[in-house]
Amino acid sequence: MAQLRNVAIVGFAQLPVVARDEHRTATEMLYPAVRQALEQCGVGRDDIDYQIAGSTDYMDGRPFGFVAALESMGSWPPREDLHLEMDGIFCAYYAWLRMQAGYCDTALVVAHGKVSEGEPRRVSNLQMDPYYHAPLGIDATASSALQASMFMARTGVSDRDLARVAARNRKHGASNPDNQLRSAVSAEELQNTPFVVEPLRAGYLPPVGETATCLILAAEGKAERLCDRPVWIHGVEHRSELQTLGARDLSRSAGAKLASEKALAMAGLDRADQVDFAELAATNPAEEMVLCEALGLDPFGTRPVLNPSGGPLCADPIMSTGLIRLGEAFRQLSGRAGERAVSGAERALVHGQQGHCLQTNIVWICGTKRRWS
Amino acid sequence: MAFTAPPDDAVKYVESLVWLPYHYVAGDYRAVYLRALKDKRILGSRCDKTGKVFVPPVINSPESFAPCSEIVEVSDCGTITTFCIVNIPVIGRNLELPYVAASVVLDGADIPIFALIQECRPEEVHMGMRVEAVWKPDGERQGDHEDILHFRPTSRPRSGEWPRPL
Amino acid sequence: MQFADVVVEPMTLRQVMEFPYKHSTGPVVGRFLAGLKEQRQIWGRRVAGGAVVVPPQGFSEWDGSACSEWVPVADEGTVVAVARVWQPVERLHPFAEPFAYILVRLDGADTAMLHVAKADFEHVRIGSRVRAIWGADGERRGSIWDIREFRLARAS
Repeated sequence: MAQLRNVAIVGFAQLPVVARDEHRTATEMLYPAVRQALEQCGVGRDDIDYQIAGSTDYMDGRPFGFVAALESMGSWPPREDLHLEMDGIFCAYYAWLRMQAGYCDTALVVAHGKVSEGEPRRVSNLQMDPYYHAPLGIDATASSALQASMFMARTGVSDRDLARVAARNRKHGASNPDNQLRSAVSAEELQNTPFVVEPLRAGYLPPVGETATCLILAAEGKAERLCDRPVWIHGVEHRSELQTLGARDLSRSAGAKLASEKALAMAGLDRADQVDFAELAATNPAEEMVLCEALGLDPFGTRPVLNPSGGPLCADPIMSTGLIRLGEAFRQLSGRAGERAVSGAERALVHGQQGHCLQTNIVWICGTKRRWS
Repeated sequence: MAFTAPPDDAVKYVESLVWLPYHYVAGDYRAVYLRALKDKRILGSRCDKTGKVFVPPVINSPESFAPCSEIVEVSDCGTITTFCIVNIPVIGRNLELPYVAASVVLDGADIPIFALIQECRPEEVHMGMRVEAVWKPDGERQGDHEDILHFRPTSRPRSGEWPRPL
Repeated sequence: MQFADVVVEPMTLRQVMEFPYKHSTGPVVGRFLAGLKEQRQIWGRRVAGGAVVVPPQGFSEWDGSACSEWVPVADEGTVVAVARVWQPVERLHPFAEPFAYILVRLDGADTAMLHVAKADFEHVRIGSRVRAIWGADGERRGSIWDIREFRLARAS
């Protein structure tokens, strides 16, 4: 692996995830998150070189609504800016790339979305092609259930297993004050909730929630000045798969597997279980188990700890869900995780995704030490 | 019957209607602003750092990035900074042509609002012209942008009493 | 007065956005749909390596290569995935009552096609044999809905 530039996460702020904020628009939620992240780093807006935002206008019901976010991000004098119709975790990747190219040393990465103002399942239908899939009304919950059924048929994983994975996330999530669901619930109880789309039960799916998030990245030289304990990027890779559901083996995530292999190699690691914890952007337990298989993690193991934050089951603010995983890695590895701190954690695997049934995956490896010297 | 190929005459289009219901939140800044229109008051927010006043109110100054914590009232009278004369009809607006669309900086504000100028001939409109709001009658205002019917020429001078703390 | 000191009753608005689209089909999707409408025949396309993709795009789903010949496949096949929608969402899902989304690998095809099971939705499972229920002559419009649903294929 060629020597790359050491880049670190130096700040992260999010608003607690809520079902609906009736007092603020998406960009009004974003402003305090950006301010908090900058304050953490002790810098002003002018000290940041580059900015990039993730959101989707369909979710907010405001065509070209993403432009409004410029005003909440401190975009004057005119900034170098980019917007992705993707989760903020992919925005972090483009900021990192830009730093590798030497074009900037610091970047503001934000994600926002007023998920409660629209209806996410209807919006997810529009991600499909308009000839064969979208007219059938398929939405992301239904396609996830197709994936779950294939995975369970191939592996013999049971409803009970799904409940156990969900219960583990709920247990971890109880100590995260930013979560929407903050109570531990037993596997029995979750397994008794009704099917929404069988084999996925209400207890296996996150509620609609919203927030705004801001992460700050900085390259070596600047990072140490912005943060007492920068969290360094050791590796990152992302892979996209086909859109057509029936042309993929939904029970496996070829993209997550390949992305993690490349990210681990960049980090100088052989296996995913060499990290201390993993934050996975899986929005239901079957998807989490598909991911675990692809990454080589044990969904019932004790180390690496899986989703110490509680994962997306406890808070799934679309467009921010992935960026929160990266933010959580920062909080854990920089000693800011409070009660839910993973003891002795030095390295983390972070996963983000986009699309139906893990269509696009991104995997990061982060650590407390610099990767390249 | 066995076919050797699909029909040559392809289906040309697939039609779809994307139907998306939304339940928007105005946000407190806009809610306060819109409700005040009912009382014939126009509110703005003042930047904590520069003192500039934004109308309608915003949570932060897009220019300085500082919060705009204070609510202030501005005048319903202002000055045209730029304008255009519209000669083509706009769908959904039943206005007699031609009409004038202008940017008006209300007394006490630092950014203009968009305004319809009426009660004068379009060729009389000029930059620097003083105009005032013509409100819907008492009892008919709903707390929305329609509460100001339009702006018209006025001889009211620019006053130093604006912006007025609330 | 400070904004922070004002207690504001939230102001909200319900509004529906509608976007009408007319999507061009192109020669591959368009002829596939014409096959459903005029022939009651489901067509696949052979891609590099010999696999048959159903429903077809203008390119290989697997490696992006151009497709070659059209291949007719059966309107009967094997279910590879089932998702039973117990709580349909109005104006999103096609039925008000519970139904299932299924992925069906039609006989002669190497990929699976997404469709629905209505009448037999509780009995369809992975491995079940199902067959297409066609819209009546004169009612088919050149759409994926020219197949009304899939039902269990019973020995005839």
